[in-house]
Amino acid sequence: MERSAYIIRTHHVKKVYNPGKPDEMTALHDISVEIERGGITVLQGPSGSGKTSLLSAIGCMSRPTEGKIFVDGKDVVKLPERFLTEMRRNKFGFIFQQYHLIRSLSVLDNIVLPLCPTDLPPAEMKERALAVMDRFSITEKKKMKVKFLSGGEQQRVAIARALINNPDVIIADEPTAHLDKKLAAEFMDILAALCGENRTVVIATHDAFVYEHSLVGKIIAMRDGRLAGAH
Amino acid sequence: MIKHLKIIDYALTSILRRRNKSLAIISAFTVVVTALASILLFSNSLKKEAASLLASAPDLIVQRTMGGRHELIPTDYAAQIRKIHGVGEVNARYWGYYYDALTGANFTVLGTEGNPETLQLLEGRLPAGEGECAIGAGVANLKNTGTGGELILVDSSNTGVLYEVTGVFRADSSLLTNDLIVLSNDAIKGFFGLPPGKATDVAVQVFNENELQTVAAKVKRLLPDSRPITRTELVRTYDMVFNWRSGMMLSVFGAALIAFCILAWDKATGISADEKQEIGILKAIGWDTSEVLALKFWEGVIIALTSYLLGTIAGYLHIFVFNAFLLAPVIKGWSVVFPDFHLTPHLDPYLFFTLGFLTIAPYVASTVIPAWKTAITDPDTIMRG
Repeated sequence: MERSAYIIRTHHVKKVYNPGKPDEMTALHDISVEIERGGITVLQGPSGSGKTSLLSAIGCMSRPTEGKIFVDGKDVVKLPERFLTEMRRNKFGFIFQQYHLIRSLSVLDNIVLPLCPTDLPPAEMKERALAVMDRFSITEKKKMKVKFLSGGEQQRVAIARALINNPDVIIADEPTAHLDKKLAAEFMDILAALCGENRTVVIATHDAFVYEHSLVGKIIAMRDGRLAGAH
Repeated sequence: MIKHLKIIDYALTSILRRRNKSLAIISAFTVVVTALASILLFSNSLKKEAASLLASAPDLIVQRTMGGRHELIPTDYAAQIRKIHGVGEVNARYWGYYYDALTGANFTVLGTEGNPETLQLLEGRLPAGEGECAIGAGVANLKNTGTGGELILVDSSNTGVLYEVTGVFRADSSLLTNDLIVLSNDAIKGFFGLPPGKATDVAVQVFNENELQTVAAKVKRLLPDSRPITRTELVRTYDMVFNWRSGMMLSVFGAALIAFCILAWDKATGISADEKQEIGILKAIGWDTSEVLALKFWEGVIIALTSYLLGTIAGYLHIFVFNAFLLAPVIKGWSVVFPDFHLTPHLDPYLFFTLGFLTIAPYVASTVIPAWKTAITDPDTIMRG
């Protein structure tokens, strides 16, 4: 069977937080988008436009209230929880805005954490971790606790952790929010390298430096939880 | 298998990362387990001591009562009881209690003839004449004497009597002989001033154990002012007394355990923002709900097992090394407090299982269940707080 050009498709997705409660809030309204395999796609929009909600939904971190999400042609919305876990474990690598590292763990321990609930022997886990650490020049800091690292170093640890499972899709939420221009440029270079490995990268950002970057293949603009255009 | 070992390893790391919190919980939990272990070990050992004491007790003891009080029994009652069908040896017994004002201790004074099997000496021999005695280890210790030494007691006419100590009893069951002073029958009669033809009670041997109740009923019919007590009744009474006392203590410490579990539950349900965040991160990077719960389960097991082991060892030391100094007055009762004796350790696997079940299971449940509430939530929702 021929693989679709789109690795992810959403179909009339709606996301409502706290439904039926006084603080009910609709974060996504009727979102239908397509994300191409092997390129960089940017969800662009100001704060509160629904970028993170859409990233969570396509990354199987939350279920939409309505609509369908296809990952590799499979509708993941109705899948049982353990299949969503499988997706998060094997298909996606996440780089969060706040990095979401465990601050009291060492760099090495943070990076191998996704491999912990697998039957991979510890020696192989370490080998893989050392390979990604080497790639992002953080090997020397492997024993250091994350809380003692700079913002740029923490981000590299987060990227290393996202790649340890060798995922097809990298999802990054506001990855340059805490970086200066130089580090942001470095980050874009890393993304370029990942695209070169035929990985798909989806970024949510309001940083013009990112969405105006020459590497970006597609921009999906969002405003107030709705699509404001795609090009 | 490797996966589970790695999760256990991570659980251990998590506990060490939260060192202060973990230490506080283990300390409080250990105190609770120590209290429960002490009560269970103490009452169990006392019951075992009592059982070993009663194993050598006569099948039937016949006392005489007057106005509901224990009175001296005529020795010719023994001859009448002997005539009952199914009755073997019948012996009049002479014994009483002696309060030693000097040491503030209560001793049991027993008269004997011949070489009773139940009284095995550690050293020396049983008394043969009126000026001799054999004593328990507790008496020897308190009166600072031993085989070949002397023991001065004050008799019923308030006259000091000097006895030569001919032997000290073995401490197989210290409850049996610890506070014992054995004199010859003639000596004890003179010491307590017992009137001629009267004894303290009568010990009766019954050939068929199943006939005990029938023989007891016949004795009661034959001698209406008597009170026959079977060995079974004695065992039951001891059991009831120790069970009641230990039950009372267990109720008190059971309440402490429940309070601890409520505290643990409260702590766990109010999972800190950091811990919640960590569960969210684990789920986001591919941990399944069951794997997060396994992590929390092992964290609970490691803490509960550590506390259980420390508490059980502390309970053991408290009871068998430090002589149950915190519990003895409550469980033993006043009558056997003096002189102090060391319990022989009787370690019952069922007891340790019960203790483990009472302590480990509630704690693990009180940590896993609240974590489950967080673990079943979407990672996105957890991380948004």
